[in-house]
Amino acid sequence: MTALIAVAASCLLLLLWEAVARLSLTNPLFFPAPSAVVLAMGHMFADQHLAWNAWVSILRVWTAFLLAASMAIPIGILMSGYRAIGAALEPVIDFIRYLPVPALVPLSIIWFGVGEEAKIFLLWLGTFFQLVLLVADGMSRVPQEYIEIAYTVGAKPRQVLKDVAFRAMLPDLVDNLRVTLGWCWTYLIIAEIVAADSGLGFVIWTARRYMKTPEVMAGVVLIGIIGLVTDQLLRALHRHAFRYL
Amino acid sequence: MTAHLTFLDVTKRFGAVEVLATPFNLSIARNEFMVFLGPSGCGKTTLMRMIGGLDTPTTGQILLDGVPAGRPDWRRGMVFQSYSSFPWLTVAENVAFGMRYRNDLSESEKLARCDHYLDLVGLYEFSDAYPNQVSGGMRQRVAIARTLAAGSGVLLMDEPFGALDAQRREQLQIELRRIQRRDAKTIVFVTHDVEEAVFLADRVIVFSKRPARVVAEIDVRSRLGENRTLEMRDGVEFFALRNEVLGLVRASAAEEP
Repeated sequence: MTALIAVAASCLLLLLWEAVARLSLTNPLFFPAPSAVVLAMGHMFADQHLAWNAWVSILRVWTAFLLAASMAIPIGILMSGYRAIGAALEPVIDFIRYLPVPALVPLSIIWFGVGEEAKIFLLWLGTFFQLVLLVADGMSRVPQEYIEIAYTVGAKPRQVLKDVAFRAMLPDLVDNLRVTLGWCWTYLIIAEIVAADSGLGFVIWTARRYMKTPEVMAGVVLIGIIGLVTDQLLRALHRHAFRYL
Repeated sequence: MTAHLTFLDVTKRFGAVEVLATPFNLSIARNEFMVFLGPSGCGKTTLMRMIGGLDTPTTGQILLDGVPAGRPDWRRGMVFQSYSSFPWLTVAENVAFGMRYRNDLSESEKLARCDHYLDLVGLYEFSDAYPNQVSGGMRQRVAIARTLAAGSGVLLMDEPFGALDAQRREQLQIELRRIQRRDAKTIVFVTHDVEEAVFLADRVIVFSKRPARVVAEIDVRSRLGENRTLEMRDGVEFFALRNEVLGLVRASAAEEP
């Protein structure tokens, strides 16, 4: 029922947009009709390697995201498990966490040039430091009772960590990963606008240069679609894996 | 009768907070149902947790079968009031978790024990349900079955029925008492409910407000016998003893500022 309402509302909005554009109430240079955007997307797929550019962007996002996650999860767990590690790392992480990622673009170009490394670094920077704190926080919110139950059936500290604490925070972790993945796209587009010769950010920026507004919008819409599909897939995975909730 | 658990001059402080100032001495016999009764936050829970090895005495010692009890292990099982079972495991998996780290049991033994204790607490048909799909009373049974399956000789129970409605509570009290007799378990049960304490206990220790001090020790078994039933609960003897203990609790609460 809610899904039906969601689809109906989206369709209505599109129709309204189309009508406004068709009635020439707006300048198509600023505000092209949805049909024009769809047409533009069609010929971009056919003639301008849009699919390949999208693929390049997706690959960048996932590479950086998996790199950040695979580092943040163990480090976050260590931070919550050992007070000394937490105390040592938290100020550093908090400091970097508050730096706006775009402010670090020049630095990343100085360090890594304009190749893939700079983009991966930027995305990693934007997600790792957030994620590591989310993991540490998730671990420390595991009810003490669970930990103590495990100890009183004879578990060793490592077993408590693996079989109980990690397992207890897993649903939260997957949720956090899903949200963080969304941020990756924001940083990716910034990175691709500043320095790239491929990817969706590059496509959008190039189209802008020639004032091809339908193409700009087509690029934006495609990012939205990729985000929506990924998010729904991850939500479905969450529901399936954590049916007990 | 040999002492199963012994407190030897135990005191406890957390930083500047004195939980137990006067040295505490107590022997709990094998197969005894011991209830610690006292106001919330008085330190009775800490005493119980020290038996489980979850807290350590500041001074003094706790002996299990005559030997310092040490770190937590499966010989002393815990049943908490909330978060008493793991939500990601089914009812049967939760019960089996009690034996997960016991390498002295074979897989088939573990399976048989799991079935046995599920049956004992009346949860066999809910084996594949998740804790969130069953009632609060059933979740507490899961926790009890887990400690039984683990083979714990001592069950440490921290207000385990505190969140249940009156009827479920009564039912579980009767069942717990039955299981305790049947399987010869030593139970240390913490509560602030006088009626629950008197109904379940062989012996009740009444504690003052923090820092905990023993106000009274009541030998319930010699007054009410071993068999606890609903009829007994409606009887004159139970009522008289309940009032007596209630009087002690009130007097203790009134005598301090």
